[in-house]
Amino acid sequence: MIKATNLSVRLSGKPVLHGVSIEAEAGQLTAIVGPNGSGKTTSLKAIAGELPYDGTVSINGHNIVTLKPWELALKRAVLPQSTVISFPFTVREIVRMGLSVGAKADAGETDRIARDALEAVDLSGFAGRFYQELSGGEQQRVQLARALCQIWEPVQHGEPAFLLLDEPVSSLDIRHQLTIMRLARNFCERGGGVIAIMHDLNLTAMFADRMIMMKAGRVHATGHPNDVMTDAVMEAVFGCAMRVNTTPVSNTPFVLPHTAAH
Amino acid sequence: MHPSDMTAGDGRSRSYAARLISDWHMGDRSRLAQLLIIVLVVIAALMFSASIMTGAADASLGNVLRWLLGMEGAEQVLSVRDRIIILDIRLPRAVLGMLVGASLAVSGAVMQGLFRNPLADPGLVGVSSGASLGAVLLIVLGSTFFGPLFAVFGFYALPVAAFSGGLVTTLLLYKIATRSGQTSVATMLLAGIALGALAGAVTGVLIFMADDKQLRDLTFWGLGSLAGANWMKILSAGPIILVSLAVVPFLARGLNALTLGEAAAFHMGIPVQRLKNIAIVSVAASTGASVAVSGGIGFVGIVVPHVLRMLIGPDHRYLLPASALLGGTLLIFADMIARTIVPPAELPIGIITAFAGAPFFLWILLRGRSHMGL
Repeated sequence: MIKATNLSVRLSGKPVLHGVSIEAEAGQLTAIVGPNGSGKTTSLKAIAGELPYDGTVSINGHNIVTLKPWELALKRAVLPQSTVISFPFTVREIVRMGLSVGAKADAGETDRIARDALEAVDLSGFAGRFYQELSGGEQQRVQLARALCQIWEPVQHGEPAFLLLDEPVSSLDIRHQLTIMRLARNFCERGGGVIAIMHDLNLTAMFADRMIMMKAGRVHATGHPNDVMTDAVMEAVFGCAMRVNTTPVSNTPFVLPHTAAH
Repeated sequence: MHPSDMTAGDGRSRSYAARLISDWHMGDRSRLAQLLIIVLVVIAALMFSASIMTGAADASLGNVLRWLLGMEGAEQVLSVRDRIIILDIRLPRAVLGMLVGASLAVSGAVMQGLFRNPLADPGLVGVSSGASLGAVLLIVLGSTFFGPLFAVFGFYALPVAAFSGGLVTTLLLYKIATRSGQTSVATMLLAGIALGALAGAVTGVLIFMADDKQLRDLTFWGLGSLAGANWMKILSAGPIILVSLAVVPFLARGLNALTLGEAAAFHMGIPVQRLKNIAIVSVAASTGASVAVSGGIGFVGIVVPHVLRMLIGPDHRYLLPASALLGGTLLIFADMIARTIVPPAELPIGIITAFAGAPFFLWILLRGRSHMGL
């Protein structure tokens, strides 16, 4: 499991996180939600180990500061919000970069994984295309395939691996939003763990096991989506009174902007 | 070159060509890159031989080889004068051209990978100017202030001085242009111009102080030339260049990952800070060594990697060795033009590379503006 305890982060002198604690179990999809600027991405970056923080982050019991970059890379992969590149790499070359971490199987095996990863993000047939010529949503899916390749087995040597996703579906159409969320769920069902920053509360409620609601650099509420998505939390966090409803059969919470009171 | 030209026209060669094409469609250019590297090795060898044979004295490759291998009959075909011309003038010149060209092209490719931008080049962003300043400082003030440097480093003093100048400039440039892991291209190019101008100004003051002999040396050296090639220069700069060239293949995977950004490279398990440190030192070392022996030769570092990226893609595992081969080949070729175009005089080679490289650079700019964050 990933356990972040009492994280505080300052960005160019300004405090952004104030003692955030986040836990993500293997086998579960943990979603971080909250308004713009509430510290979601900063939390994820701290957990990924890419920026300095006060507090501790551990992954499967190892404090991440004690791990070498290449050891960390075998335990977690990260999908950033967007990635701009200035060299003409093909989709296949980008995806295969994820496979160069650690000692992997022979060339045939890596070829198969790269192909399967592209298929998983619904980009079969895109291997020969240039990354720079793809749309934003397609580029994001290429990056996800690359991250998937890095921890292709959700459980390695008995240890779960984690996917850290920063807004994985923000620039995708609705069909691909579902594709990617199902992919994340599948990764959890096979024993891995996922932490995803989400904006779409309804999609989150459909797929997340746990929801962490952030506000102004603090965790405001945490728990099952049914417990976190309440009228009171909506108003307290987003400053906007909305009626939360639930779907008839599955009892999944959803909220429509139409219900917002002025 | 079509792949089927490489082997006899049997079924095997057709299947090789077919595999090459299907790989290309699948977005895998590694087979193509390997083939190109083999072709470049052959071309480099041919250009090297041509360079040794080109010039006023007549020396065919067969005769040269026969003499070098100590075979009979060669005494008659090669006069003592020809032998001296070949062994002490043309051969060191070709070797130096190969070393300097490889060093310039690889430095360019590494720097472009480091800054994640195809426009970064040691010559363009002031690193060569910094290296020149280091060298000029040593030439003009050497006997007065840097006596101990000569004592310690001997004939390595000039490359070491140029290396120090280049290193300081590269570090400054990186500090200025990179904020929290993001390198700003505009800042990098503008800061490079400023640093280059500053180094140029200090160099100007030194030239003002120089005496007539130093002045003559400096002017010619500043234009860039292989004319003064000799075994001494190769001994002083060669080891530094070769060590840098030997180190950079280990950076290839890291530079590939760095294309996606510093954070993404770290996520993929690359020790980013160490990668950057090694890249900066190796660029400064090989640029410094090249500048020390041949002055500023521009545009090789930007044109060669760019052409190769268009052919085989940006994968540094292939881009770096291919850059070394093509850089060396092109510089020897430019040198052949430089010494034959206005006989019996010689043009400084920097003029040739600028004439060919500057328009090419403009073309890259106009063609790829949208991809380069400009």
